[in-house]
Amino acid sequence: MKIVIGEGSCGLAAGAGKVHSRLDVLFSESNPANAEVTITGCNGMCFLEPIVDIYDDGGELHRFVHIKEKDAEVIHDAVCSNDLSKLDSLRISDEDASFLSQQTRIALRNCGNINPMSIDEYIATGGYVALEKILKGMSQDDVIDEIDKSGLKGRGGAGFSTAFKWRAAKAADDAEKYLICNADEGDPGAFMDRAIIEGDPHALVEGMLIGAYAIGASEAIIYVRAEYPLAIKRLENAIKEATEREYLGKNIFGSNFSCSMRIKAGAGAFVCGEETALIESLEGKRGMPRLKPPFPAQSGFWFKPSNINNVETYANVPWIIANGGNAFAAMGTDDSKGTKVFALTGKIKRGGLVEIPMGKTLREVIYDIGGGIRGDKEFKAVQLGGPSGGCVPASLLDTKIDYKTLGQTGAIMGSGGMVVMDKTTCMVGMARFFLDFTAKESCGKCVHCRIGTKRMLEVLDRIVKGEGKDGDIEMLEDLCIAVKDGALCGLGQTAPNPVLTTIRYFREEMEAHIAEKRCPAGECVDLITYSIDKDKCIGCSLCARKCPTEAITGEIKSPFEIDVDKCTKCGNCRTVCKYEAILVK
Amino acid sequence: MDCCNNKVSDLTLIKETLDHYKSIPGSLIAILQKAQDIYGYLPIDVIYHIAEETGVAPANVMGVATFYTQFRLKPVGKYLIMLCQGTACHVNGSGLIEQAITDELGIEDGETTEDGLFTLKNVACLGCCSLSPVMMINGETYGSLTPDSTKTVLRQLAEKAGEAS
Amino acid sequence: MAIKYTIDGIEVIAEQGETILSSATRAGVEIPTLCFSDKTAIYGACGVCVVEAEGVPKLLRACSAIPQDGYVVRTDTERVLRARKTAFELLLSDHTGDCRGPCKLKCPAGTDCQKYVNEIKDGKYYDAVATIYDVFPLPASIGRVCPHPCEDACRRELVEEPISIAFLKAFAADKVLASDNKYKITTGADSGKRVAIIGGGPAGLTAAVKLREYGHAVTIFDQQPKMGGMLRYGIPQYRLPKEILDAEIAIIEEAGVVMKNNVKLGKDIQFNEIVKTYDAVLVAIGAWTSVPMSVPGEDLDGVLGGIYFLEKLGHGERPVVGEKVAVCGGGNTAMDACRTAVRLGAKEVYVVYRRTRNEMPAADIEIEEAEEEGVIFKFLTNPIEIYGENGKVTGMKLQKMELGEPDESGRRSPVAIPGATEDIKVDNVFMAIGQVANCEGVEGVELTRKGTILCDEMTFRTNIPNVFAAGDVTNWGAGIAIEAIEEAIKAAFCINNFLEGDEVRYKATYFVEREVTPEEFEDREKQHREKMPGPTPEERIKSFMPVYDGFTEEQARAEASRCLECGCHDYYDCKLIKYANWFDVEPARFGGSKRERPLLEIADVIEHNADKCVLCGLCYRTCEQVEGKTFIGLYNRGFETVINPMFPRIEAAAYCATCGKCVDVCPTGAMRKKF
Repeated sequence: MKIVIGEGSCGLAAGAGKVHSRLDVLFSESNPANAEVTITGCNGMCFLEPIVDIYDDGGELHRFVHIKEKDAEVIHDAVCSNDLSKLDSLRISDEDASFLSQQTRIALRNCGNINPMSIDEYIATGGYVALEKILKGMSQDDVIDEIDKSGLKGRGGAGFSTAFKWRAAKAADDAEKYLICNADEGDPGAFMDRAIIEGDPHALVEGMLIGAYAIGASEAIIYVRAEYPLAIKRLENAIKEATEREYLGKNIFGSNFSCSMRIKAGAGAFVCGEETALIESLEGKRGMPRLKPPFPAQSGFWFKPSNINNVETYANVPWIIANGGNAFAAMGTDDSKGTKVFALTGKIKRGGLVEIPMGKTLREVIYDIGGGIRGDKEFKAVQLGGPSGGCVPASLLDTKIDYKTLGQTGAIMGSGGMVVMDKTTCMVGMARFFLDFTAKESCGKCVHCRIGTKRMLEVLDRIVKGEGKDGDIEMLEDLCIAVKDGALCGLGQTAPNPVLTTIRYFREEMEAHIAEKRCPAGECVDLITYSIDKDKCIGCSLCARKCPTEAITGEIKSPFEIDVDKCTKCGNCRTVCKYEAILVK
Repeated sequence: MDCCNNKVSDLTLIKETLDHYKSIPGSLIAILQKAQDIYGYLPIDVIYHIAEETGVAPANVMGVATFYTQFRLKPVGKYLIMLCQGTACHVNGSGLIEQAITDELGIEDGETTEDGLFTLKNVACLGCCSLSPVMMINGETYGSLTPDSTKTVLRQLAEKAGEAS
Repeated sequence: MAIKYTIDGIEVIAEQGETILSSATRAGVEIPTLCFSDKTAIYGACGVCVVEAEGVPKLLRACSAIPQDGYVVRTDTERVLRARKTAFELLLSDHTGDCRGPCKLKCPAGTDCQKYVNEIKDGKYYDAVATIYDVFPLPASIGRVCPHPCEDACRRELVEEPISIAFLKAFAADKVLASDNKYKITTGADSGKRVAIIGGGPAGLTAAVKLREYGHAVTIFDQQPKMGGMLRYGIPQYRLPKEILDAEIAIIEEAGVVMKNNVKLGKDIQFNEIVKTYDAVLVAIGAWTSVPMSVPGEDLDGVLGGIYFLEKLGHGERPVVGEKVAVCGGGNTAMDACRTAVRLGAKEVYVVYRRTRNEMPAADIEIEEAEEEGVIFKFLTNPIEIYGENGKVTGMKLQKMELGEPDESGRRSPVAIPGATEDIKVDNVFMAIGQVANCEGVEGVELTRKGTILCDEMTFRTNIPNVFAAGDVTNWGAGIAIEAIEEAIKAAFCINNFLEGDEVRYKATYFVEREVTPEEFEDREKQHREKMPGPTPEERIKSFMPVYDGFTEEQARAEASRCLECGCHDYYDCKLIKYANWFDVEPARFGGSKRERPLLEIADVIEHNADKCVLCGLCYRTCEQVEGKTFIGLYNRGFETVINPMFPRIEAAAYCATCGKCVDVCPTGAMRKKF
């Protein structure tokens, strides 16, 4: 039997590490069945973490969820007694299991299935076959043509044709070229790149090697967010293993192709997701974007031709080479081929990583896979594309997920952040949240972004505080258009998107803040008051005990009251009330 | 400049790092990261020393050190509270958590309590979206926070520190 | 292979790889830029050089975009103008400074006080006078009579007292008038156009000079025997010696202005005739009618409008006044009348004013000097009857008043105290409660209800296409001389545009201004205002001798050295303000916070003011890329980004060549050499 603990960052954060240690201790004390305790990366079912998979001696997978440290004893007992029925109370429900079964996993093909620290497990799933295939029989152009056939577009945000970029970099006439991986996943709501590196680092290494061969680069660099220490650790191990097996180094598979690979850790700057800023950062400088042209394909890292793709893009490459571009292109839509990974989060029942063929609708992802809104509340909007994207309202739930159709909504595919909101989320607050993010992350180089995002944020700040003025919306629109037009790089050019979509779809909500000084979602602290619904309050006094300012008083078993003058709107009462008796207006 | 104190740092601690990266161009960020690991922050004399040893002008070292959010020019408290600013955390109420921390400790983003115990730092998405709202204190993740549970965590840590001293 | 493309319809040939900015500049198409220099690598930060090319969806940054053959580039589309304008507005919304000192901004005519005060400090009196003539003529005269709003605005007041700007002006002008090298007005090339000006007061004379500078022929018609208007006929000799005025008018005449005196409109010449004969006409006839008080007895012998009384003096008469004289009113004309009466031998002179001293519109110094000369102020009194014997005034009945609630203008209006009256014995009453225009003879020109000429505030045009108006005669009525001059300058600008067939409208220049607090000046060493020498009050009242002797040279230079130099040192070279006015910015619409920014003293050699920094990066890039040094760099990011030097502990010499290039390339006044 094999006991596999899901140890992505999120699993560890949920306590997988403690479960693992406990199991290690128990099995080191007694292990009659000779069971192996090992790890795997994140399988994407974040809502069930920590997860323990047990492969029985027949190789069948049994999945157990929400495992706590104390459950280790039962697991140990069940495994030792070869009776997994002892764990039935921990077993995943069929409904939850459908979260995975409805997906089509290409980029995430190995995540949650193999030990990311073991190259052998990667090889056992067909790893490095694609690399061998190209080095033993495909020209650089053949590789690019195959990628072209697949229709693969950059998965990091802009959705630019991968083959086009590779061709341009290959065409550049220079002996020294670089292949770079953008693993500086910055969208505050997307974590698929981290999951891929943590769960299947060799897929990235292999994908990059194929890319390096195609463009003629002999050095590959992975720029990883410093906030991803585990990913860096697993990637370092993968590079070490691949070097030991000579998949990396000189004359790989006996060919003329040599390539080295190294990791550079970012230091906290969202703008470094922009390829020219990333290059500046790689060179040890402030991550401020360069003007394009010249494009990195002509003049990039150390002013040499360079190709940059993100993690998910490279992770698809070995599969495409192994299975053929046509197989990839057979999935998805005319405009958008293949699959895309989304990080489904927010007020969703089943949140996690979801990989689906392009062309599914938002509704299918949110309701069928994600199980709908937490607490069965009303769906309000879904945020796509993070700070560069926008909020898509309920009326557009049947929108197909592909680059073009999503673009038409005013949002973007982006890197795949998908944050679901219910009626308690204030859309003006949401726009403010993203502007706050971009304003803080603006590098400060160009005027439109440096000052424009700041000014937009100030207006939104005013609005959520109930200090909005007539004409603010129009001024915001004006500013949005000017910033889109004038900003130097993608960060600034797309920064207005969250504001524009909010104005487009939730103008009334914005106007309510400005004209009536009212937050319909009940979220903007300056515009709301707390009270207690006398019909629902049973007088349990829990809220009163949790109130930090003693604003809630009353007698046990009769309805309590909130003194609005003392209330600091901290929300404690609303959180603890089991009867939904706290009203926010 | 918000960087100046007169502490004298032990510059020998960084020698190995500087030697290692000397021959690799563009390594400034990596050197600063190591320096911060060693000293806990980037003391001004260390920055100056790095400039001298790498040949990168001090103005440029400073430029890099103030550009990236990871770098700190001031020492941090015993407990570094990293409050996730991801979208999912926002949607699930991280604003209230920040308010609770501010109420409890009297510090705002980037500040350290007077007793040097806590530093609050808002950080980019920690990627534990399903546990949102989340904070991470000295490597330990605390998820599904409420204003109340946040205060409890802080009080426990403060107590622990009190016992230790 | 050269690239051929068009920009705004002009054909441009660009070399292979040459940018739009470079090739367009060569072709004479101006594209604004703040961050580009041909000596440093392309940076692309400011975003004001954007242009639009047909068929290209995104706006192009001209500094980096390479044109392709057949490109049709435009710099004047709505999209381009909006993007550029917004960029400047955003920059200005985070830009704090004083483009010009408050003295200049508060001078109605916009005289560059800071500049001429500093020229006086340096002993360059001719330059100082030239600086004033750039704006208006008659500096020696105006320097003596102006109530100087400039001094009211002067920030030196926050240290001790404002600079004596007006007297410095008179000082420099006197100095040059007395020299062999008198000021000469430079006239423009002859335009072939003729302009008639009706009225030779400060407005008419100013407009005449401006129009001569534009190259137009100018004739002034005036009904008085000599030019000067109210300066000559309304201001007593002791404040403005007429010899000075004569000398300044002579300079104007030398500039080729034809002066026709003793010409009364409607009698000696018909207005219609002038309108037909000249290409443009400026009506600047002032406000010469004294406002009656409408009390019984006004027609008695010995009762006269204050201005008529002064006018007599202007004609060289010495009207006889009795022993007791009352002057009604609280303005400067009232002060001139009462002090003139003292000089004509009156023993008791009253100023009757219905409010208190605080509300008096007259200049403080005038009131003080009147008091010194023995004038008795009867505040909170209002004449309700003038009575007399045998048709001659003998006394006045005064209603006692108290101050009520403030009115719309903020002044507390006087309210009669029922039954409280006072009688005073007087031999003369001079009414100086206001002056109005008399537009008799100005045929066909539409008037306001006040009887002034109705003209557009931005074009100074009347209802007759080629007739303009300026000064006391226009819409809002009488004001101070420098306000009339302001209108004349603007009207002359509009007339010139009209004659050249351009859009007539006058456009106010945009300036960046800032608020200051007294704390900012706490460390300043006190240096009190120079005291103006002059005769004692006892001596003064014996004749119409000037009340001031004027500054000595030493005094003038010491006084001028007190200037705080509030206005930006780089104003004339500042690209930001030039572009701001080019694109008609309205930065206020964005408002918002500004960066926290200490003034940086960079190793004693350079001063960097982040308040004015636009972060174009030219300073640090030039330091690095041109000079091979790295003395300064960027610090922080986003909105908090500033230019910073490295730390004080480092020897400047190792990193700074003190070449000053960083200062030279700065497009604004953010960098300043200290060596």
